[in-house]
Amino acid sequence: MNRLAARGLTLSYGNRVVCRDLTLDLPDGAVTAVIGPNGCGKSTLLKALGRVLTPTSGQVLLDGRPAASYKTKEAARVVAMLPQTPVVPEQITVRDLVGRGRFPYHSLLRQWSPDDDEAVQSAMERAGVADLATRPVAELSGGQRQRVWLAMVVAQRTPVLLLDEPTTYLDVAHQYEVLDLCRDLRDLGITVVAVLHDLNQAARYADHLVVMNSGDVIAQGAPGDVLSADLVQEVFELASTVIPDPETGTPMVVPRARATARSVSGRSDAPSAATPAASPSTR
Amino acid sequence: MSAVDGLSTRRVGMTGRVVLHVSPRAVVVGAVTLALLVVLGILTLTMGKLGIPPGGLWTAISGHADGKEKFVFEELRGPRLSVAVGAGAALGVSGLLFQSGTRNPLASPDVVGMTAGAGAGAVVASLWIPLLPLGIGAFAGAAVAAALVYLSTGSGFAVPSRIILAGVGVSAMATAFIQYVVMVKDQDESLSLAGYLAGTLSARTWGQAQFVGLACLVLLPCALALGPRLRLMELGDAMADSLGARAGRTRSLAILIAVALCAAAVSAAGPIAFVALTAPQIARRLVGGPHGAVVVSALTGAVVLVAADLWVQQAGWLGDLPVGILTAAFGGVYLGVLLVKEWKKGSA
Ligand SMILES: Nc1ncnc2c1ncn2[C@@H]1O[C@H](COP(=O)(O)OP(=O)(O)OP(=O)(O)O)[C@@H](O)[C@H]1O
Ligand SMILES: [Mg+2]
Repeated sequence: MNRLAARGLTLSYGNRVVCRDLTLDLPDGAVTAVIGPNGCGKSTLLKALGRVLTPTSGQVLLDGRPAASYKTKEAARVVAMLPQTPVVPEQITVRDLVGRGRFPYHSLLRQWSPDDDEAVQSAMERAGVADLATRPVAELSGGQRQRVWLAMVVAQRTPVLLLDEPTTYLDVAHQYEVLDLCRDLRDLGITVVAVLHDLNQAARYADHLVVMNSGDVIAQGAPGDVLSADLVQEVFELASTVIPDPETGTPMVVPRARATARSVSGRSDAPSAATPAASPSTR
Repeated sequence: MSAVDGLSTRRVGMTGRVVLHVSPRAVVVGAVTLALLVVLGILTLTMGKLGIPPGGLWTAISGHADGKEKFVFEELRGPRLSVAVGAGAALGVSGLLFQSGTRNPLASPDVVGMTAGAGAGAVVASLWIPLLPLGIGAFAGAAVAAALVYLSTGSGFAVPSRIILAGVGVSAMATAFIQYVVMVKDQDESLSLAGYLAGTLSARTWGQAQFVGLACLVLLPCALALGPRLRLMELGDAMADSLGARAGRTRSLAILIAVALCAAAVSAAGPIAFVALTAPQIARRLVGGPHGAVVVSALTGAVVLVAADLWVQQAGWLGDLPVGILTAAFGGVYLGVLLVKEWKKGSA
């Protein structure tokens, strides 16, 4: 039995149905990357898994039990979620913000304990923001902020972590740092589900890849089995060659240079030499 | 699972210890505002021609005074001060709940039309249903205004900017209604209502003090209990939901408590303007963080209202002006400053 699973989920905003009858099992203690084009319903699925969006029908199962049957704080001790666009409150320091992640452990009588301090400190260290602890969040750069948010959900100390585009705003080195952090958390036994836009990062870091298109999961499995030029063409409408990543051997998607991809002739002098090292991003 | 258990063992080992998380700064700020409130209270009771001499203050408060001092404390300044403290605290917390619940620093019962609605309710009660106490009318008026705002946004209280727009509309309607009634009713009745409608603290009764005191006694603990959830609302609905704070329910509860507090204050002292907008703003700047905001907002609201009332009482040239006119004047300037700041931030 998986810690986190979806059964026959139909997800909609008002009358607008985004996902219909979606069933999915997320492997325990693994990093799962969700990929797919803009607007295909990745965030919507994550919101449903994180109990932010109530399914129109179907169920999210936590440890085999319907998530809807949990008390809200109880569920928040099992699943933490970083939304795509969280709001930064005014006048709050990094330490305070990270501390909000401890809410599910508090009650009227028990509002803060030394363990909370310890959880906050270690989460800040993991996310590399310990030296920013006393800074106001509003004065940080986008990348620093993103890592503070990560620290907050890590401080929640849940066995399942859902991250919607955790690498947004980060420079390339910090992107890999965050992905390494996902791995470290996985090695602690945490189930990590992350929406990623960079296919090569997803292939490199995910144990399990879930590919979505217009509200459906159209493929899933180990990145090496799933990611192919045909799939990239079908899902992203991008012509590419898939080669082994020279560092890890995982699939690496190299978009075709423009002239070849569209078979446009007469523009051979165009700057068509796309650098093979550049990652195809769907953003 | 085992590794995760390892992570949380320390937490389990320490349950049972009760620790409230309050920042030292919030405690200091709370103590200072409380002291300021006490000083202002003493000044309110002792200053001026009718003031109780400081030496006789304790005798008067403990109920052993007689003659003029007994009269001043029990009939004039005592109820006046009590209503000022209660209504100020109620308005301060009402504004805080509104601002955090809707994530809008400019939201307050005034801006969304509840004070004007409460005024209209009071007018209806006093002129057409004489049996109905003014307070109940004000309460109903505030509730109707809040309901109108809720319905006319088309999305409940979910989208802050729409709440403000709808509130401005409801507020204008209620104000027009009040003006119409005051116009068509005969002069005497209208005149006595005019003072109430500006928000006044002169000639208050112990009954009014008890009413607003009771409302605070019941509703402020509710606001305090909601505090931790409200702090999560600031992070956006999605984050609040995923942390287990149930954003929609928290917002509804916050606004419900805010409506009740505002209505209680209005029924005791009339629709006093802008205290609900400014007090939580000042309080949050003072505490500089998320903790202690409820308590400090209550204290700041009380301080602002008592100070304003002391001023209209003692400044002879103001001629016992309704205190609401003074708070409106200052609050209007403050709102202007805030708007300019927001605007600058937006264009920067
Ligand atoms: N709050 C909302 N109300 C109505 N429709 C919405 C809402 N949020 C998303 N949608 C719609 O649902 C669909 C899926 O959106 P979703 O945010 O899940 O996409 P996504 O895969 O996360 O895209 P992106 O890569 O751009 O983040 C889109 O068509 C979007 O327009
Ligand atoms: Mg998204």
